[in-house]
Amino acid sequence: MGCISQSQLLQQQRRFRSTWISVAVGLGLSLSQLACQHQHSSDRLTVASAGRIASLDPAQANTYGTLQLLSALGDTLYTREQDNSLKPQLAAEQPQISDGGRTVTIPLRRDVLFHDGTRFDAEAMAFSLNRFLRIGIQSYVVGDRIEAIETPASDVLRLRLSRPSSSLESLLTSPYLTPISPTAYANHKDRFLNDRFIGTGPYKLISFRATQQRLVPFKRYWGAPPSNAGLDMINLSNSTALFGALRSGEVDVLLSESIDEDQRLALDRRADQGLLLESSGPALQIGYITFLSNAPPLLSKQVRQALVHSLDRSLISTRVSHGQRQPLRSLIPPSLQGGRQEPWPIYSPDRTRTLLRQAGYCQGQPLELPLTYRSNVPSDRLMALTWQAQLSRDLPDCIRLRLEGVESTTVYGYLGKGAFKAVMLDWGGSYPDPEAYLAPLLSCTQAKGDICEAGEAVISGSFWTRPGLEKALRRSDSLKGAERLEQLLAIDTMAAEGAAYLPVWLVTPKAWAQTHLAPLEFNGSGQLRLARLREKR
Amino acid sequence: MARGRELLRYGATRLALAPVMLWLISSLVFLLLRVAPGDPVDAVLGSRAPADAKAQIREQLGLAMPLSDQYFDFINRLIHGDLGTALINQEPVRHIIADALPASLELSITALILAAVSGLAVGFSGIARPEGKLDLAGRFYGIGTYALPPFWVAMLLQLLFAVILGWLPVGGRFPPSLVPPSGSGFLILDSILSGDWVALNGAVRHLALPACTLGLLLSGVFTNALRLNLRRALRSDYVEAARSRGLSESQVVLRHALPNALLPVLTIAGITVASLIGGALLIEVTFSWPGIALRLQESINQRDYPVVQGIVVVIAALVVMISVFVDLLVASLDPRVRY
Repeated sequence: MGCISQSQLLQQQRRFRSTWISVAVGLGLSLSQLACQHQHSSDRLTVASAGRIASLDPAQANTYGTLQLLSALGDTLYTREQDNSLKPQLAAEQPQISDGGRTVTIPLRRDVLFHDGTRFDAEAMAFSLNRFLRIGIQSYVVGDRIEAIETPASDVLRLRLSRPSSSLESLLTSPYLTPISPTAYANHKDRFLNDRFIGTGPYKLISFRATQQRLVPFKRYWGAPPSNAGLDMINLSNSTALFGALRSGEVDVLLSESIDEDQRLALDRRADQGLLLESSGPALQIGYITFLSNAPPLLSKQVRQALVHSLDRSLISTRVSHGQRQPLRSLIPPSLQGGRQEPWPIYSPDRTRTLLRQAGYCQGQPLELPLTYRSNVPSDRLMALTWQAQLSRDLPDCIRLRLEGVESTTVYGYLGKGAFKAVMLDWGGSYPDPEAYLAPLLSCTQAKGDICEAGEAVISGSFWTRPGLEKALRRSDSLKGAERLEQLLAIDTMAAEGAAYLPVWLVTPKAWAQTHLAPLEFNGSGQLRLARLREKR
Repeated sequence: MARGRELLRYGATRLALAPVMLWLISSLVFLLLRVAPGDPVDAVLGSRAPADAKAQIREQLGLAMPLSDQYFDFINRLIHGDLGTALINQEPVRHIIADALPASLELSITALILAAVSGLAVGFSGIARPEGKLDLAGRFYGIGTYALPPFWVAMLLQLLFAVILGWLPVGGRFPPSLVPPSGSGFLILDSILSGDWVALNGAVRHLALPACTLGLLLSGVFTNALRLNLRRALRSDYVEAARSRGLSESQVVLRHALPNALLPVLTIAGITVASLIGGALLIEVTFSWPGIALRLQESINQRDYPVVQGIVVVIAALVVMISVFVDLLVASLDPRVRY
């Protein structure tokens, strides 16, 4: 290339560069202008949570986000308050129990309308319950308890039970059982209606997308109207986006599930500095390890007991969650009846060593144990890594953990087939009652000695039971008050002695909000009261 | 005329082979999904559902049939244009694709335009002085942007522009306080067609960060491709011939070397847009962009066979169509191309 041609090109380049600089400056200025528009244009509030909402049908709901949304769009017969008391919502008063606990009569409010303008009555409630029992994916939570649903009057619902059930009251607080309009769901009696919801709640749905829902106050709501002008619910796909959206002021309220531990901690710190509001509900989600108890090496109770002594929960809690996940030594969350006791033993490496020696391990023959964790749950992976490191520090000659990360869907698919010797899982009851924690982990319908062959214990992957345990579970559900508490303690103690499960931690639901809002409130079921979100006065 | 017929024949042959390719891909996806661990019924009902309920839903969804029957049923439906319904919520798969595909296309096309403009500009800027500062910077840019991990860049840009500066939204596709305009599913186009400038502003603001990130990451490919091809073109005989005819250097570059150097870039652009439709997963996840890649990932996690199959078949069809189109375009622009 000659000199002249080069200078021509250089000239062109200069022109080109100056054009680009002008474009970049213009773009920057435009963005700055746009940034000024990034404020709330209305008094509606934006609430963010994780994950898509695939369906709004209560018969199909199974995620935290969906249940939270349903709690704003619908009502339940009763609600559980933070002090654990049962408060009538669509019911006019407390349930009346008769016939030795086999009949539950529920007087209903007469002033309730569905969002489509039709009246809520006993027939509508029966329609909703029957539909859930028929097609609900979580219908097992009711099980065989309800034999018949009767409507003796338009404002009276009667449930005939197959056995007395003290957990039924809590079950009636579940969003799964929120009533839906029989008129609106006439064509969906036996199939799901995913993109609409016609209930009785304080909000009405006006637009639905899997990642975005718009709610407006229902003007003919029977109760106190919502304290805000409406809600825009958004669902983001990851923790970083949720965290960033709250920090940037893009959203007003952030619900905590699926927020990574480091980001939770950062939000907590901002709340401590007064830059955010923070509120927490009752901790109702437990993290635990299931041991496969029908095959060696964990067929031996002694080995299982050794393992339950080997977990340093305080260390795990500190290292994994900066102390935010409280150590747990019971299958029942402490906020529920019977959850205050702690029958699982505390961390004791000496006891572990002794038990393992008795079982023929240590002394050059360590227990090789594969521990499976859900690879798509970061806290599970951290827990597994920390426990592995803790064991190689404290009991290097006795236990060697081999970690295996498996994706959630595969874990749940193979859990009941006995594929995992030890697996880290979590569980949140479908309603706030000890029954919703004990039965799904311990119930067994067919057993041979201490090995469960059919039932929830198989589905849970432990295959463990004990003679008398199923009877004790049934009995606890038929008792009330101190008698029930005593029975629950006995069951929890039996489970601790059996050592087929190892409770690890407790997860507290949290929500954060911008400081222009009034303090947030949770109900006793761990759901944020969305209708009470409001600007600070 | 003869060349036109040749092109037509080539295009027809490629398109005639497309169904075979789609059949192979769909069969492979069908088999791989069935081999993969995890039960879709568990994803629908939960692992704790009663066995009879599971059996009932298995029957309803056709999962109780022998695998061969399931396969022939799937292929039969596919031939008739029926992609089936999602196992999770019984939504027709074509609705799911119609909802998610425009989001991915909008993102991909915008990112491609940004990548092409910025990448080609950087590639072109160093051509006057090979091995000069600008050329070296262009080379560094080309390699650097190509090598950067997408999720890391995405999170950094998200942190800077959304969290710290607050200029742009962190994620999502549209402001939650607005109702998206209805129409084609391309929100920018729909906003313009409906004259809703507030919606347009919202859609552009949400698109800006993911599109710029993706554009930045792709631009290096264009930079490198243009640099190499342009330098090769500038050394070729026809360029020397042009120079010897007394044309100015800018005429030589812009009229002779550049069009020839851009032909391979066109092919790269075609391949890139095709791969982006299903491959922008990390960007879609980071920015919560409700596109087809994110939907595909969720459906794989849920073992939602019909959705995964439907999305893969549609993406494959798009890739085939785009590659045929690009081949024909290149052939029509470059008379040297023979088939």
